[in-house]
Amino acid sequence: MGSFVLLSEAAQIEEAGLVSIDTWTIIAMICNLFIQMLLIKKFLFKRVRDVLDKRRELAEEELRKARVSRDEAEKLRTEYENNMEQAREKATQIIDLAQKNATAKSDEIIREASQEAVAMKARAEADIALERRKAVNEVKNEIGSMAMEIAGKVIEREVSEQDHAKLIDEFIEQVGT
Amino acid sequence: MEISISGAKVYGYIGPDIPLLGRFPLTETLIVSWIVMLAITLLCVFLTHNMKVEKISKRQALAEWLVEMADKFVIGNMGSKFSYMVPFVAALFATSLFSNLIGLLGVRSPTADLNTEAAWAIVVFIMITAQKIKAGGFGGYLLGFTKPIPLLTPFNVLSELSTPISMACRHFGNILSGLVINGLIYAALAGAGSALFGLIPGAVGNVLSTIPILDVGIPAILSFYFDWFTGVMQAYIFCMLTTMYIANAAEG
Repeated sequence: MGSFVLLSEAAQIEEAGLVSIDTWTIIAMICNLFIQMLLIKKFLFKRVRDVLDKRRELAEEELRKARVSRDEAEKLRTEYENNMEQAREKATQIIDLAQKNATAKSDEIIREASQEAVAMKARAEADIALERRKAVNEVKNEIGSMAMEIAGKVIEREVSEQDHAKLIDEFIEQVGT
Repeated sequence: MEISISGAKVYGYIGPDIPLLGRFPLTETLIVSWIVMLAITLLCVFLTHNMKVEKISKRQALAEWLVEMADKFVIGNMGSKFSYMVPFVAALFATSLFSNLIGLLGVRSPTADLNTEAAWAIVVFIMITAQKIKAGGFGGYLLGFTKPIPLLTPFNVLSELSTPISMACRHFGNILSGLVINGLIYAALAGAGSALFGLIPGAVGNVLSTIPILDVGIPAILSFYFDWFTGVMQAYIFCMLTTMYIANAAEG
């Protein structure tokens, strides 16, 4: 290969030409380039890519977890809302029932009260009737004895009460009716 | 005054003498490229050790940013079906960048040796060709040279071959020019300083003229362009062309 040297020093160490081609050096440099490529791949790219992959996996994992917990929260919320709805329904039911019970109870009380009133009225009427009968009986007796007295006075003799009680009763009976 | 700018040092030869190839030369290029590889690998190990999923350190953030940038660059230029190319392009960029910048430490950049760029360009050329054959079949690949008219076949072949050559030479030329210009500037400034302070009479002038005072400071400014800017740019351009050519080849 052609080579030119501007000015070579007279040294012990041999020097190649300034612009010279040497096949061995070219082969060695090609090998060096590929060895360098493998070294860079192993010590820079592989390591960095591993870390980047790990970071991406971590981010995805975090995202997945977040999604799961969001779903869970959503589920809890639905459950809570359902529970609230149920509680509200139950409360309404209880109130309705209480109202119904109260109405029933008041009706019952009113009914009982009116029944009692009717009963009392009936009893009162019965009492009145009894009293009247008693009064009538008393008046009857009174009138009987008065009539006996009057009769005794009229006939000037003692009329035996026992003898004539029957007679008087009959009389009063006739008067009473 | 002599200015010496030469190729990479050859420290010795190892192995048997193989026909056509000769013995394996242990060159400065090779040794510095191993140092570069070690530095890149150690940096990767440093950035990625003790990585966490949460509460990441700045170091880890940088590692993740680098990976994301590499992904964005490769997938942005080539599409997601070429995501397997990311480590290759990243290795190409890192090696190129570190090789260019290691020149700042005073050693000879592996990229100041055409063999390095030639190696990379050959790999890229093989990849381009493989993608073309994959896209159109071997017959389609060969037929592609006769388009649009068969008369252009020699030019198409030339243009195909010039792709890796231009890629290699562009990168190599830029780094080498930096090296050459830096060498010239150092030498010129040393000469100028020596001449300037030599004007001072007596022993003071003799002592000062042997110290390259002007070499302090001024070359650093030029080095910013020739080492830093060119170093980063050429690494970027090489990777950009690699991705573009391979993606275009796959489209057929």
